[in-house]
Amino acid sequence: MVVVTTERVKPRRLPGVEGIWVFIGADSVIFAILFLTFMQDRAKDPALFEASRHTLNLNLGGIDTLILLTSSWSVALAIQALKRDLIDQVPRYLFGGALTGLMFVVSKSTEYFQKFAHGLTPGTNPFYMWYFTLTGIHLVHVVLGTSLLTFLWIRSRRGAYSSSHREVPESVASFWHLVDLLWIVLFPLLYLMKAA
Amino acid sequence: MATHAEPGTAAPASDWSPYPTDYTSWKVMAWMGPVFLLAFFCLWGLLARNISPFPAWAEPQAVWDHYKNLRLPIMIGMSVCLTLTACYMVWSVAVSRVMERIEGAGGLWSKMEMLGGTITCAPIMTACAIWLTAAHEIDNITPGMAHTLYWFGWLLIDLAYFVTSWQIAGASIVFMRDKREKKLVPNIVGWWGWITILSFFVVSAIPFVYTGPLAFNGVISFWIAFFTWFFWIPGLSYFIIKAIPRLQAEDAAAGRTNDS
Repeated sequence: MVVVTTERVKPRRLPGVEGIWVFIGADSVIFAILFLTFMQDRAKDPALFEASRHTLNLNLGGIDTLILLTSSWSVALAIQALKRDLIDQVPRYLFGGALTGLMFVVSKSTEYFQKFAHGLTPGTNPFYMWYFTLTGIHLVHVVLGTSLLTFLWIRSRRGAYSSSHREVPESVASFWHLVDLLWIVLFPLLYLMKAA
Repeated sequence: MATHAEPGTAAPASDWSPYPTDYTSWKVMAWMGPVFLLAFFCLWGLLARNISPFPAWAEPQAVWDHYKNLRLPIMIGMSVCLTLTACYMVWSVAVSRVMERIEGAGGLWSKMEMLGGTITCAPIMTACAIWLTAAHEIDNITPGMAHTLYWFGWLLIDLAYFVTSWQIAGASIVFMRDKREKKLVPNIVGWWGWITILSFFVVSAIPFVYTGPLAFNGVISFWIAFFTWFFWIPGLSYFIIKAIPRLQAEDAAAGRTNDS
């Protein structure tokens, strides 16, 4: 029996504004190149990289991971609330995302200060050059994302977004998930994986 | 009259330049972007061996030997590239004129793009002249001087990135603001522009490092920063070259008659 339906299927669309996925894709490719180059350099001097890895603060790295995962979860809840037009809930979830982003910045700054206090700088050795470069570029992403989440939080308190007007929050959320994902790769790569 | 301009999509008359439009020259100028890129890539990059660059950590004697051994290809590459870099300026003018059709005649960002593109030529040309001098005079200079000239060129060509950043920002902002149903330049080019600008900032570290990803021959400061720009130029050129006939059709559909 042939079932004929007149229900129209809504075309699927990528979340966010047009072109944001080019930005996210390009950023991912750039980080992938950096990760591969890091591994290549590590293979040249595994002993040095392994010894330097042990000087990193594993606890702070773990806390950073938890902070970013919580932040991503909070932002995902904000978008879910937006889709369901639960407008009252959106600002509090976005605030949660921005606040945890700020916590990451504080945590990472603390880690940097600890390293500088012990005389460890990007010039110390190739491992530390990579450590400060990779985490520094990631930190710039976190600062940018936190600023954007703060902007969204302020706008959402004024009721600027709804289920039919959510391209900008979706774009920022997609970017924020990328920031989270990059850290999920960075943390094991720098802190956990044995060089040899 | 046959036209492929969509009704209601032409820019308002206030956005038109009061000067006659020479579409043929405009198209030729738009092609100068790819011409510049081809020349820069082949001559500066491949022939003069700047892709990949001689390392930042190289000792003066090694730099001197590099110029001595590659004297002729470096001289050819740098002298021709020095001349053809002007094509980037010409291309920037063509891009600026397309931007004016979105922003309005004499728009701020259009001017910024044109000036940014024009001034970008200056450090490139000067760096080429410096490296050309090093190659030309290699038998009369010490290894220390060869090293100095080599670094001088890299510091100049790299650290002047912010001028190009303003050019790219101007183009990205204006093309992303285009209200046409089918934009003259799609948003993906604008977003790629932002990626290019962001990738440039890390280059600021090059005076302080000699090895690793941030050195002028490193994965970030060279491979990522230069190649995002190398992809941005043909990406934008493709849509600029396609935009000019569209604008010509818009003008014809609107009965604009000041084309030469």
